[in-house]
Amino acid sequence: MIGRMRTQTTEASKFLVDWMEHRTGIVTIMEHFLYEPVPKRGAWLYTLGSAVLFTITLQFLTGILLLFYYVPTTDHAWNSVSYIMTEAYFGQLIRGIHYWSANFLMAVIGLHMGQVFFSGGYKAPRELNWVVGVILLLLVIGLAFTGYLLRWDQDGFWASVVGMKIGSYSPFVGAYTINFLMGGDVAGPGTLSRFFALHVWLLPAAIAPLIGVHLYLLRRHGVFGSEFEYTERLAKLHERQRLEEYADYELDDDDENGRDGGGSRRE
Amino acid sequence: MAELQRDPITRSDFLGFGVLGAIMGAILTIPPVAFVLSPVIKTNILGQSDVDPGWVEVGSVAEVKENEPSVFQIEFPIDQAYGTKHIQEEVPESPRSLERFTIRNAVWVSWKAPIKTQGRQGSGGDELAAAERPAILDQKTEGFTQSEREEIMSKLNVLSNSCAHLGCPVRWFPDQKLFLCPCHGGLYDINGGYVGGPPPRGMYRYTQAEVREDGKLYVKHEYDAGPEHREKGPQEPYVV
Ligand code: HEM
Ligand code: FES
Repeated sequence: MIGRMRTQTTEASKFLVDWMEHRTGIVTIMEHFLYEPVPKRGAWLYTLGSAVLFTITLQFLTGILLLFYYVPTTDHAWNSVSYIMTEAYFGQLIRGIHYWSANFLMAVIGLHMGQVFFSGGYKAPRELNWVVGVILLLLVIGLAFTGYLLRWDQDGFWASVVGMKIGSYSPFVGAYTINFLMGGDVAGPGTLSRFFALHVWLLPAAIAPLIGVHLYLLRRHGVFGSEFEYTERLAKLHERQRLEEYADYELDDDDENGRDGGGSRRE
Repeated sequence: MAELQRDPITRSDFLGFGVLGAIMGAILTIPPVAFVLSPVIKTNILGQSDVDPGWVEVGSVAEVKENEPSVFQIEFPIDQAYGTKHIQEEVPESPRSLERFTIRNAVWVSWKAPIKTQGRQGSGGDELAAAERPAILDQKTEGFTQSEREEIMSKLNVLSNSCAHLGCPVRWFPDQKLFLCPCHGGLYDINGGYVGGPPPRGMYRYTQAEVREDGKLYVKHEYDAGPEHREKGPQEPYVV
């Protein structure tokens, strides 16, 4: 009886999976997305990028949840955050995750960049993915900066004032930058609205497609450092060194023969 | 590339696309860009301010003690986003009344301590004598004559609490006899003069301040900062 049920369910699920695969190619896509060959050496380091993706996903999910209660006006922002913290069920958890994950995100991005840098993963043909990564880093910094003002408490307010004033020291554009961010020439209701718009709409909307590009480029070239790639690079390096040494010998020969001005120059 | 252009583009095509493209581009980009940049256009380019340019009452100068600055909370009405004046006037009975749309500034007021020796950068500030409180204040606290008011103003420091480094609110520490900034440890003396820490200059002073017959100090939202005060330091001031 149980045995029969088991076979029936496996068959039903198999049928379902096959059915979906035929119509959407979902299984192939999942396999393609989930399986990625990584080098044996230092395999754990290759999870840092996924850790960044995970924390950003957390930011999106908890950020959207916070929006159910958060009110972006100067007279209610602090109260609504206080409501999240004291009244809403699991409010402390949701906001806590948003806060701590934002902090970890910065650290994990640093480690991820370090890993790419020290393994030489930014080299050809992956330069563009490094560039996209830097843009992503700037966007995340923008999110971390604009999010802090949304609490509208003393910490967040003064940290944002200090941050905006640092921007105001930039040559030529400083005065425009700070008034753009403040939405005027004092920090007031306009400032909160702008930071809210940037934090919740503009920057997430910019970050999402760029994450897609980042992942696409990653998939296109694979992570750097497969054994194959190492051996190939080493072989190329040795070949080049050999050629260079050879060229040096030839130059020496030329020198011995004396320079007569008309000697042809080799590149 | 070349195969894609099956029909060669003629001169009139090119001009047509160019002109039409420019018009379409302008229609599509100017409104949103101007929309987002309107505060920048209003403040930086047209020179308007969100802050009401009028006088605001600070408090009675007789309250300011000798050798110790007093702090006064003042509120400047502002006109920014939903703090806009005509909205407030249309619905005066709503909780969004006039005074809710203000920025709060703290004004530190002290009597000037004469400078014995001018300090140089890194010397730990000026050497100061004791602060001088005008004797007239012991006799009356209001109804000053013109010359008495002038004497009072000449001896008064009217300082913004916004740190000249990056704008955090500074506070007077009576034990140290210094203003201390909580953010990066900027230090100033009783005159607001620079003593130590990262600020590039002394505290901002209110440039529009006056004592009236009622013995009270009034100020406008204007500071000794900006291009016309270049000698005070290299920075642009943003007193928020
Ligand atoms: C990389 C992505 C993000 C980062 C680094 C980030 C960072 C932050 C930070 C540091 C705060 C201040 C939290 C606090 O001090 O309590 C904050 C608050 C907030 N964020 Fe984000 N955030 C991100 C994405 C998002 C997204 C996608 C949304 C919504 C769609 C969002 C909505 C909010 C809201 C509503 C608040 C105010 C509530 C609060 O202060 O707790 N965030 N964010
Ligand atoms: S803001 Fe006062 S020392 Fe930096």
